[in-house]
Amino acid sequence: MALQRDKVGTTYPPYTYEVSREKIREYATALGETDPRYFSDGDDCVAPPTFAACFTVTKGGAAPFADPELGTHPAVVHGSQRYTFAERALRPGDVLTCTPRIADISARGANEYLVIEVNCEDADGHHVVTSQATIVLLGSAPATATDTPTAPGQEVAS
Amino acid sequence: MSTSRSVEVGDELAPVTAESNLVASVLYAGASGDMNPLHYDPSFAENVSPTGGIIAHGMYSMGLASRMLTAFAGGPEQVLEVDVRFTRPWPLGTSSTFTGTVTAIEDGVATVSLVGTNESGDRILRGTGRVRL
Repeated sequence: MALQRDKVGTTYPPYTYEVSREKIREYATALGETDPRYFSDGDDCVAPPTFAACFTVTKGGAAPFADPELGTHPAVVHGSQRYTFAERALRPGDVLTCTPRIADISARGANEYLVIEVNCEDADGHHVVTSQATIVLLGSAPATATDTPTAPGQEVAS
Repeated sequence: MSTSRSVEVGDELAPVTAESNLVASVLYAGASGDMNPLHYDPSFAENVSPTGGIIAHGMYSMGLASRMLTAFAGGPEQVLEVDVRFTRPWPLGTSSTFTGTVTAIEDGVATVSLVGTNESGDRILRGTGRVRL
C-alpha cells in the first residue's frame, strides 16, 4: 500500500519530553563529545544540538507510523534530517511539547518519501527546535506515481 | 563566541574522525532511543540493509558532523541549523571523517558546508550548518 497523499498537513497529538542531565551525558558520551558543559553538574549544563534526536526521530515518527490510514510499512531508511534551533541550547529540566505533522509525501523511483516535521516548544510556549525528517519507504511507490526522476547522488542510506 | 572573532569564507573546520563499531552503534541506539535492529543485529541487517550488513545510524553521522560544527561555533547555543542528507550507508567496522568549510558569512551568521567521507571513499553525508559568530 502506498502512502496516502491526502494525509499531508495532518497534525498528530503533541507529546511531552523532559530533558535530563543523565540523558545528556549518555548522548554526549555516545558521540565522543568532550565539551565539559555536557557533563556538568552545575547550572551551565547544556545538550549538544543533535540531542534533539532523542525526542524527535523515533518518538516523532511513532504517531504517523501507528496511523493505519497513512499507509506506512517497516522497510524504511532515514534519508535526511534538519534541525532548526531558537538561539538557545537544550538544558536539563526543559519540558518540551512536541507536535508531529506530515509535511510532505512524494515518490521517486521505487521509493516513497515521507517528511515528518516535529515542532518543539518549551513550557513557556517558546519555540526551541523544529525537526524535519525525511523517511524513505523502500519499494512501495505506485508504479504510476513517480513524480520526480531519480537524480544522481540521491541514493538513500541509513 | 565574541563578534571580534575572525572567520572568513573558505576557512576549514577542525575535522572529526570516528569508527563505527558494534559498541558505538549500540551506545548510540540506547542514547538516542533508535532501536532499529539494522544498526546492531547482523541477521536482520542481512535481509534489509542496502549493504547486506550492519550500518551506522544516519543520526550517528549527523551527530559527529554536528559535533564538529558546534566546536567551531563555540557551543550549542550558537548553532542555528543543521541540515544533512544521508547519501550512502556507513558500514560497521569502518571509519569516517567529517569536514566542514565556511561558504558564506552574512549578518554575523556563517554558513558551513558539511561532508562525511567513509574510508572507502564513499560520501556518506552531505549538508549545511548555520552558526552565529
